Amino acid sequence: MNKRLKFKILSFFMLLISLCNSEIFAEDLRIKINSGQVEPLPIAIANFTGLDAKSSEIGRQISDVITNNLVRSGQFKAVESAAFIAPPTSPSVRPNFSDWTPLGIKALISGSAKAINENQMEIEFRLWDVIAETDLVGLRLSVDSNSWRRVAHIISDEIFQRLSGDTGYFDTRIVYVAESGLQNKRVKRLAIMDQDGENHQYLTDGSFLVLTPRFSPTSQEITYLAYYKNEPRVYIFNLETGQQELLGSFPGMTFAPRFSPSGDKIIMSLADKGVTDIYEMNLNTQEVIRLTNSSSIDTSPSYSPDSSKIVFNSDRGGSQQLYIMDKNGAKVKRISYGEGRYATPVWAPKGELIAFTKMLKNKFYIGVMAPDGSGERLLAEGYLVEGPTWAPNGRVLMYFKQDAPVDNDKSSNVNLYKVDITGFREERILTPSDGSDPAWSPLLNN
Amino acid sequence: MYRSFFFSLALHGFFILLAYYGLPSIRTHQIIEQPIDIVEDTPVSSKTSLKLGTKKAREVKKIEKKIIKKPVVKKTPPPPPLPDKKMVDKKNKEIEKIKELKKIAKLIKQKPTLKIQKNNKIETPKAISKPDTIKNIQNSQLAKGILKTLTKPSPVMDSDKKENRKNNNKDVLNKIRQMVGNSSKKVQEIEKELTQTEYDKIKNHIGKCWDISYSASEVKQIIDLKISANIDGTVNSVEIVDKSLYGKDAFYRATADSARRAVLDCSPLPIPKNKAERFKSFYFDFDPSFISSY
Repeated sequence: MNKRLKFKILSFFMLLISLCNSEIFAEDLRIKINSGQVEPLPIAIANFTGLDAKSSEIGRQISDVITNNLVRSGQFKAVESAAFIAPPTSPSVRPNFSDWTPLGIKALISGSAKAINENQMEIEFRLWDVIAETDLVGLRLSVDSNSWRRVAHIISDEIFQRLSGDTGYFDTRIVYVAESGLQNKRVKRLAIMDQDGENHQYLTDGSFLVLTPRFSPTSQEITYLAYYKNEPRVYIFNLETGQQELLGSFPGMTFAPRFSPSGDKIIMSLADKGVTDIYEMNLNTQEVIRLTNSSSIDTSPSYSPDSSKIVFNSDRGGSQQLYIMDKNGAKVKRISYGEGRYATPVWAPKGELIAFTKMLKNKFYIGVMAPDGSGERLLAEGYLVEGPTWAPNGRVLMYFKQDAPVDNDKSSNVNLYKVDITGFREERILTPSDGSDPAWSPLLNN
Repeated sequence: MYRSFFFSLALHGFFILLAYYGLPSIRTHQIIEQPIDIVEDTPVSSKTSLKLGTKKAREVKKIEKKIIKKPVVKKTPPPPPLPDKKMVDKKNKEIEKIKELKKIAKLIKQKPTLKIQKNNKIETPKAISKPDTIKNIQNSQLAKGILKTLTKPSPVMDSDKKENRKNNNKDVLNKIRQMVGNSSKKVQEIEKELTQTEYDKIKNHIGKCWDISYSASEVKQIIDLKISANIDGTVNSVEIVDKSLYGKDAFYRATADSARRAVLDCSPLPIPKNKAERFKSFYFDFDPSFISSY
């Protein structure tokens, strides 16, 4: 064997040995991090820039709405714009990140508003990760000049989702019962507004009493209870066409209506001859099926997100408690075993929780529990708190709270409140008059 | 004959190694680029302009709520379950393991001590007379700055003491070997490993910077980040390992981003200087499961 070949083989083996000893074959160091800070994330929301005065004004208003949405979610903390060293000029220009890190900012939102013509605008935004020095999401929307508020909600949803992972709930609306007048002459009207209380409108004129409005999860329809000829009846209101229709013609009273997750059925209570049972009605075929058959009061039914189960409250066991049954009414099982009485159960959109109203020792509570009845937590309390409704992402609950009456003649204040499921952040929703029975819509761009 | 045999052997060995480990040069650091979802001309209409419907229901009547008061059934909650025996044994074993590791770490840190016998007097170096010229030079330097020229007389150790010190080192090593096995390779590995204190220091340092959202409770996986740090602890690069999950799971993506921000925000890391080699390439395993207990 010649020397050259020997040298090649030798060097080859040397290479192999060195590779075997090298660090790539060594076991890697791994450090497990299992603690962190659950605090609002510091973000900067710069005013959206515009070429003319009108666009600049709309841009400023958009950034105000985004700031309100994100801060009120409790997950973000907006840094005052006065502290900004060099506000961004355009969303397409990469910011100088070193201007933002000293302020403790983790994410920056920049945007612009541009008028295309008299009625149309183009809104653009970009979300920057200040620490990783990269952009996370960008979006451009063309919009009616009057609909800038909706664009602000859509942008808020995008930012919320990108930074938390959860779908947002800002591009949604609330339908509720607006109340006014004295206690013995209470006027109750259906009203609708954006989730932040803006764009408020009345849907009925107050000439008849309305109760328990509920949104369809799939369309812009609501179902509600109205008293017609001294009898409560369930109606459907189409928000796009403005049409109302009576749901079926039943011998007794119908109440507590709620849509199925697919939107093609309505489940409700029907009281006849002193017995209240739960019925399901197919909206396409008008077919009605009785689901419970007991001598007790079964009411407030709510479907699980997969429509396989129904939660409701009943006094069949002696006191008002929560029960779960299959969609056909079989396998009824009690799930609430705590002290007090339970009512108005509502299944969360993701299915992991059930919200309810609890009455205990002259106080009312809003709480949540797992569908098997475990892990009960009370999130809000008051003289009267009732009627929980879930935000579409299942992270926030809205309900109404009534203060204790001071004078028997005067009615006490009734207001809408929301709380996140941690129970730490409760906030009042401002309405023009008193409000009760809120119902949260699905996302409008669904 | 020999030539072809060696060729075949070498090639076989090479391909086996290549198949098992892959080429090291292929493992390049890929930077994740976030796709920017620019949606052009997405019309947004106002869904809030509503029409009022025709009135159908007219008469208003008061509703009387009938609340039937019934006796409240009190139920005492069941006592918390007792811990499983297996779990207790497992925990005890873990505690023992940690104690052993701490012992090893102590032994490694412990400096060999010198035991000087009283009878053995330390001999001072003998003074040797210097030529007069050197003496004069030294005297002149002393006047300028005496500390510059002085050196402490070091005690001369005899061969016994040297051996004593060597034995002391050997004792430490032997004890380590007894505890972890008799191979010198294992001793080297332990010397490279972090002590529990060092480990906890880094862990807590990052934990303080990790701003995590409540939504992270939806993440069921551990988020692995590959880190490269300099000797002074400054972070060179952060790489999210599971790129496919990052691309398709919004919860994972948001939580991985928050973890990346934590590492970059917390740079420099408090790494032990004598173990900086271990931090050239290492992993942070972010586990967001703790958020469920909030």
